[in-house]
Amino acid sequence: MNGARDWRGLLFVAPFMLLYALILVFPLFRGLWLSLNRVDLFGDGRFVGAANYVRLANDPIFSTALLNTFKVTLMIVPVLTVLALLLALALNNAGRGAALLRGIFFSSAVLSVTIVTLIWRFVLAPDAGLLGEAWKAAGWQPLAFLSDPHLVLPALAITTIWWSLGLPMLLFLAGLQQIPHDMYEAAALDNASRWTTFRRITVPALRRTIVLVVMLQTAAQLQLFGQSQLLTAGGPSGASRTAVLFLFETAFGRWELGYASAAAEMLFLLILAVTLAQYWATGRGREASGAR
Amino acid sequence: MDRGRLTPVGWAALLLGALIMVAPIVWTLLLSLKHNGELVGHSGAALHGPYTLENYAAIFGNSSTLRWLLNSAIVALGTTAGVLVLASLASYGFARLEFPLRRTLFVIVLLGLAVPSQAVILPQHQLFAWLHLHNSYPGLILPGLIAPFSVFFMTTYMRGIPRELDEAAMLDGASRFTVFWKVILPLTAPAQSTLAVFTFLGSWNDYWWPLISATHSDMYTLTVGLAAAQMNYAQTSGLGYLMAQAVFASLPIFVVYIAFQKQIVRAMAGTAVR
Amino acid sequence: MATLELSNIRKAYGGTPVLDDVSLSVAEREFIAFLGPSGSGKSTLLRIIAGLETLDAGEVRLGGERIDPLPPGRRGVAMVFQHYALYPHMSVRENMAFGLRNARVPREEIEARVAEAARVLEIEAQLDKKPAQMSGGQRQRVAIGRAIVKQPRLFLLDEPLSNLDAALRMRTRVELAQLRQRVDAAFIMVTHDQAEAMTLADRIVVMNDRRIQQVGAPMEIYSRPANTFVARFVGSPAMTLAPAALSDGEGPFARVRLASGAEVETRVPRAGLPAGDGLLLGLRPEMVSVTAPGAGTADAEVMLLERLGERTLVYARLAGGQDVTAEDKGDSPLRTGDRIGLRLDGAAAHLFGPDGAGHHAEAAR
Repeated sequence: MNGARDWRGLLFVAPFMLLYALILVFPLFRGLWLSLNRVDLFGDGRFVGAANYVRLANDPIFSTALLNTFKVTLMIVPVLTVLALLLALALNNAGRGAALLRGIFFSSAVLSVTIVTLIWRFVLAPDAGLLGEAWKAAGWQPLAFLSDPHLVLPALAITTIWWSLGLPMLLFLAGLQQIPHDMYEAAALDNASRWTTFRRITVPALRRTIVLVVMLQTAAQLQLFGQSQLLTAGGPSGASRTAVLFLFETAFGRWELGYASAAAEMLFLLILAVTLAQYWATGRGREASGAR
Repeated sequence: MDRGRLTPVGWAALLLGALIMVAPIVWTLLLSLKHNGELVGHSGAALHGPYTLENYAAIFGNSSTLRWLLNSAIVALGTTAGVLVLASLASYGFARLEFPLRRTLFVIVLLGLAVPSQAVILPQHQLFAWLHLHNSYPGLILPGLIAPFSVFFMTTYMRGIPRELDEAAMLDGASRFTVFWKVILPLTAPAQSTLAVFTFLGSWNDYWWPLISATHSDMYTLTVGLAAAQMNYAQTSGLGYLMAQAVFASLPIFVVYIAFQKQIVRAMAGTAVR
Repeated sequence: MATLELSNIRKAYGGTPVLDDVSLSVAEREFIAFLGPSGSGKSTLLRIIAGLETLDAGEVRLGGERIDPLPPGRRGVAMVFQHYALYPHMSVRENMAFGLRNARVPREEIEARVAEAARVLEIEAQLDKKPAQMSGGQRQRVAIGRAIVKQPRLFLLDEPLSNLDAALRMRTRVELAQLRQRVDAAFIMVTHDQAEAMTLADRIVVMNDRRIQQVGAPMEIYSRPANTFVARFVGSPAMTLAPAALSDGEGPFARVRLASGAEVETRVPRAGLPAGDGLLLGLRPEMVSVTAPGAGTADAEVMLLERLGERTLVYARLAGGQDVTAEDKGDSPLRTGDRIGLRLDGAAAHLFGPDGAGHHAEAAR
């Protein structure tokens, strides 16, 4: 290949790569640098080494936010995964009814977080919400989902599960389509019960998809932001403040960019670990299925 | 097939689930159809008539919601067009051409798949401030153009096109660009439409970036505008109007969803390839 | 006068050589077949001529002009690809016109050439169809049509028949033979199917292991194989090669002894053969006939019978363990395990030296 040809190849990728370098690669390193500086709205900042990280480690607001993030992730991911799997199993057929129901269960996923929180605010709010009205009609005291510190994280979780059910369901449906028909026929000839078939054939075949769903959702929920910011503004008294909301408030409320960057780097590491765990787990899964 | 058959209990659970999915949306619709005054302190009134379209009429009398709609449309369409152009060019390079650093650059793009937006959003905000791009359409569009997924997706698709076609075109005297423009690009049409729908949805629904980049209300997109409206709703014109805005803002996306269901499903299922 | 001239071509991928000092001269309007197993370098050589691969050393000349530095589209060659490589989004007409448009041929001229090619190939009714709407045979014709309209000096065919079913392959072979009568160009076809090569080609270029093994007319390749590779690769079933030693003697022709002790009188001149062991006696099945035990050159046991209808192939084993393929009549009464005698027709047999080079009977000339 001669030099002129080389050049032309580079021209095709250059527009994307230049923007990519400017808007993604540069900010990635700039963020790392910011986290080592004390930076506010004015001026360029001062190098402080690991001080921001030390401060993070001792900041009770950050640890509460992190804990909230973990809690809400733990509330969401298992329920979401199981529900999506059950839905996929129930709706994995070609009938009209199943197609309609698939459409219904996926429809919420195309809404923006703003609309979702708007809808759920007036489902959950005790004074004007659908649940409140239902509770009142039943003669009970409406639950203060958005202002009771014990109910606020479950409320965010319910909202999120309602919103996020569609994608995992589709992934499971795609996974189910990959399972060869004759495996089920063989199982039927072997007189396997439904439960045995599910445990011995469906689940192992879906292993990769299950790992993918769990990891994608874990990574997504560790970044949970809009629901908390819009529904409760992190309240009451920080009971629903998530890590990304903390980062948002620190950066764009108090303009402590260096400190917020340190929080962002910590979160990045966390999510990177989850992503790597997924590659590791699916990689092993592939080896296992290759060994069959 | 046998495993597709549900017991009556299974059916009941499924229908209950569907009801839970639909109920909040129906509730929102009902609220949007009520006179605002009727809902004050008593939103249960939404469960019965009289219903009215006055809230929707009010949207057309209020320029800000329409302005946000326009902004969302410009940003989402601009992002979609930009992504298709950049990803197609780059993917052709990665899939078909030899040039220095090709593998390295592609790996760098793939690594970008693992970078969550919150990890770069603060420096991005700073960068766009330096460039005076906040509160502008380019400022809202540019960060959406560099999605690594778009290049990964399109490169994978292009690699699936037989190389014999490129070679036949080269023997037919086509230049590299002609091969790209006349042969490869038309063959990626299914992938283009999938990527387009996927990008459009993502851009239309994006909240993070416009929230921090668009600070003037006339540059808000619908997501940010409605976020502001819901936080201030106590002071504004009322619950019915707010819900009408929500329905109005969701209409375009539902139209896209229904029209392009196939592409959306394909794109979503495609994430499993990662 | 030579149309295509390949001189001293070398090519390596990374450190692995795939072509080693290959030279070849193709005459005007000649039909050449590159025959060889996969990995022999035959496809690479074709792609180098087309310009789809670069060469590391050597030259390619077409009509006297050096073409190896030129891009594929400027070489005056046209190629028919193994999987046709029709543009799926273009109609048949557009497929054929694409190359001419790129060459800025005037529109009327394009239309005339496409119409003429369509008429010749009988695909006029298909001109507005997309490739996906056509059968494999029709697509093959479009691929050929796309090459014809360019009026090239050289047609390159990359396994053009390998994707067709048996019946269609026969018909397309005939059509290719007719096509080369009509056009004023040379043809190079890559194939691993010797019947295809024998039927179509004026000369066959047998390739193996990065090099040209032999160049010759089909019957010359068959009856005077240059070495053991060509001997075994061409002809089906393959020629038997039995280790043999040159017997002492005075006559002008070589007499050899097999491991079983049997002696065979060949018509290969004794002069030029190395003395002693290390020879191979080459026997095609039609040179070995079945006799009663003891009545032939050597006795053997029937291992397997392959009944082809008009004849029967007898896979037999000599006393020394040497396997020999013989031919018998179609209704041969033999059964597996029978003891038989084999008559080896020494007059037609070949001998191969320790270096693999072939020595042939003068009578076969």
